[in-house]
Parts: sequence; structure tokens; C-alpha cells
Amino acid sequence: MRILIFVTLALIPPAFIGWMVQQGLRAPALAAEPAGKARPSGAEADKTLLALFQGDLGGAKVKDKVTLYDEKGLFDYIDGAAPIFIQRHYRKLATADMASADGADIDCAIYDMAEPANADSIFNAEKSTTAKPVTDFPDAISGPMSFVFRAGRYYVKMTAFDKKAEAALPGLAKALKGKMK
Amino acid sequence: MTSDEQHGPSVPARESPIRQGSQTAAPTDPAGMDRRGVLRVGMTAAMAVGSVALGLALHERDGSKQTRALPTIKDHRADKPAGATDMAIVRGPDPAANVRRAVEALGGMGRFVRRGERVVIKPNIGWNRTPEQAANTNPDVVAEVVRLVVAAGAGKVWLTDASVNTPEQCFARSGIEKAAKAAGATVVRPDASAFREVNVSGKLLRTGDVLFPVVDADRVINIPIVKQHGLSLASMALKNWYGVLGGQRVKLHQNIHLSIIDLAAMVKPTLTILDATRILLANGPTGGSLSDVKQMDTIAAGTDEVALDAFGATLLSLNPTDVGFIVEGMKAGLGTPQWRNLKTVELGG
Repeated sequence: MRILIFVTLALIPPAFIGWMVQQGLRAPALAAEPAGKARPSGAEADKTLLALFQGDLGGAKVKDKVTLYDEKGLFDYIDGAAPIFIQRHYRKLATADMASADGADIDCAIYDMAEPANADSIFNAEKSTTAKPVTDFPDAISGPMSFVFRAGRYYVKMTAFDKKAEAALPGLAKALKGKMK
Repeated sequence: MTSDEQHGPSVPARESPIRQGSQTAAPTDPAGMDRRGVLRVGMTAAMAVGSVALGLALHERDGSKQTRALPTIKDHRADKPAGATDMAIVRGPDPAANVRRAVEALGGMGRFVRRGERVVIKPNIGWNRTPEQAANTNPDVVAEVVRLVVAAGAGKVWLTDASVNTPEQCFARSGIEKAAKAAGATVVRPDASAFREVNVSGKLLRTGDVLFPVVDADRVINIPIVKQHGLSLASMALKNWYGVLGGQRVKLHQNIHLSIIDLAAMVKPTLTILDATRILLANGPTGGSLSDVKQMDTIAAGTDEVALDAFGATLLSLNPTDVGFIVEGMKAGLGTPQWRNLKTVELGG
């Protein structure tokens, strides 16, 4: 009996070590944190990001909730497009399903790129060769069903699904840009 | 307004699991040890050996040798009749007609699906996008494949995908759920109960939670769309198997080309129908702007996913051998990028 207890107790450490080894080997390697400038503080920057969806939005409104995505979560929203944001020191994404004043669906994604230069970089990297610049709206392009702009450290992508929503995109963009000053 | 925060998976620390304990005095003269000393040394050695053995054993549980408890996905490929066409490329304004002509050129759906078999159809329904935005498979293409499979006498026709965006939105906005149901498919949305853990037995992925129809089906039909992809350059047939896996996606992108091949080697589909009705030329995989979309009115079908992806790459103005997963797919024996060397039929234009 004493031998049995001794053997049982002796097996606990190796089993624990084996379990730890297993957990360690299962862990996926994470991408290295990019070496950028000092980033905006997390909680404060999140609060500022979420506040962009409050107040006047050019007649549009958030249908349900605003969702935040960090670096790892970004893959669950844009899949393989995530690395080109992360390489540019992306900080966080806020996204919401919105409705125009007449009820048409709009998909709105605001990327906090931590620095204006990063926002400029991703804006230029993703700029479609056939999309058109927008009159009286610097750093913006629009294509059918789409309106994209950058302001300060933010990069904004809005997608419409029909003509009514498409018509509402410039108004929403103007309202969002006004909050980014 | 409320807000949610989406984080990545919690990752166990990679630090050494062995903590430094207090030192014990080692005997300076082993020959002079008493019985208790010998016992102590013996037990320490035994525990060390046991630790290593158990560690290795548990490691194997997560490794490629862990094939005992979990199911493995069967090989879904059908026998090729002598002289049969390998690949068909059809061009024309009607997507459904293009599908019919392509499948007919391969010998008809009866070559791939037998009466009573359970078939799963796997389009790309990853995105909250309309058909015009070309991020998902065209719903007319999907519906025609369902009709052909039903007409071939399939006992069950599932249609499924693990969407990246909210599944309810993707399945509805893409137009695929409505079209597939009308054509006779049972639509399986990727809720938690739709996944089953299986052995992937790949180089990178050992196990994974896979949509159950892919595990249970006798035949699997892949219907990807052709589009640009920010990380892998392109998303077509081989990449479409990302959409059978549940869980967070960040781990798949550590080595995207090899993880694509791990999944493609796991599934081995019966038939692949490449949808190039509209293709997404930039800002993939999500897309959104119609500026990035090009109307191609083309369908390619066959059994060699590497060949089909090589053809699809040319539509995106890519050299197939510049696309990592095409090269890796060839190395893994999944097919050839030399699609022109196969028995290929081109129709329409």
C-alpha cells in the first residue's frame, strides 16, 4: 500500500510536467509586436474610438452595438487582410452595422492606426486603382458601394449594399470626419 | 449603443515549465552512499526518466501520431473513367449554364455522385457581401450545382461554410442560403454544434474542429470564388478549405501556405467548380467596392485543385508558381499547376 501511494505521488510531477510540455507545444507562435512609436494609451484610445459612433452621424445610426477587435481578433473580422494592417502598427478596429436614415444597411469599420502616418500608409496601400477621389474631401476615395477615407490616425471603410445606402455614405463620412478633428 | 471586445485566443506561456527548486546536497562519494542514499538517487532518476517519458507521450497525443481517438476525414475522390476529361473551362453570360456545360464536359454529375450518397457542397460564404461585391461564391452557380447533385440522385445534400463575418448576415446577404434551399439543399450554418473534432494530421495542423457534413459526407464538392487575398495573394480552391474549420483564425495565418495545404490534403474533394463569374482583383478577401470587381463570366471545373488554382491565378494576372500554396500543393502531390498539360476542354468565349 505504501509503495502504491509512493508511486502515485511520484507520478504527479512528471504528469504535470508532461501536461505543461503539451500546452507549450500547442501554443501558436505570435507575430512580433511591431516596433513603432509610443502608441496611444489603450483605455483612453478605445473610449475615443467608441465615441466616434455617438452623436450626429449624418442621419445614420448604429443598429445594435460597436465591436472592438485587437490584433489577434482582427483575423476573425478580415481574415488574411489583417497582416497588412498589423505591419502598419494597427492598434484597434471598431466596427458596426449601421442603418441610413431611410433604413438601408451600411457596414462601417474604423481602424485606429495609432499614428497619422500609419493611416496614410494603409489608405495608399488599399487604394483601388479605379476608385475615384471625392470632391471637397481630401484623402477619400469612393467606388460603387464603397467610401473610404483617412483622417488623423483613423482609416475608415464604409460599405453599402444597395443604392440607398450608397447615397448615405458621404453624409456619414462627413459626420465621422468632423469627430476626428 | 453597446460595445463588445474581440480578443485573440489566450495563449499559454512558452516559458519553461520546470521551476528551479532548492538545491539538495549531492553525495560526494557514490561508493560511500548508504541504502537510503541509493534509494533517493534511484527515485530521482526514475522520476526524471518518467517526466521525459510522460512529456513525450503527451506530446505525441498532440502530434501526428494522435490518430487513435479522433475520426479522420475519408478520401472523397471518385474513380476517373478511362479517357475522361480532367478539366473544363466554360465562358458565357449565364452562370448556371456555364456550370451545366462544365460538368457535362467532365462526364456529367453521375461521374461524381451516385444514387443515395450524402453530398456536401462548400461554397465561400465568408463575408457580409452581396453577389456583386464578389467576395462570396455566386449564388446562381451554387444553386445549379445543388440542382445537378439532386438530379444525380443524392440521398442528402448539405451546404455549409464557416463564415468569417456573422453567419446569419453572410448566408443571407450572399443570396446563397435562399438559392441553395430553393434548389433542394439542407443549409448548415456554422453554430457551435455544427463542428466535430477530427485529425488533420498535417504538417502544421494536427487536429481541428470541422463542420460535420464534411466529416459525414460520401462526396464533397468545392465551389470557391476566385479573388485576390492580402496575405496568400489569391483565394481559390485550396484556400477555400479554411472555411471548414471552427475556432479563431489567427493561428492559421502563421504559415498560411502550409496550413492551406494541410486542410486541402485532409479533405480531398470529389469535384471542384471554380467560380470566376465575377472576380475580386484587389482588397481581398473582404472586398466591398465594385471598383475592385471584374466580370469574367467563366467557370472552370475538374478534380485537380492545384490545376484549377493555377488557372484561377492567371485570371488574377498572377504567375501560378509565385503563389506559395500552389507550389506547396504540387510538392504535396495534390496536383499540377501545369493545367494545360491535363486533358482540358475549353468551351464558349
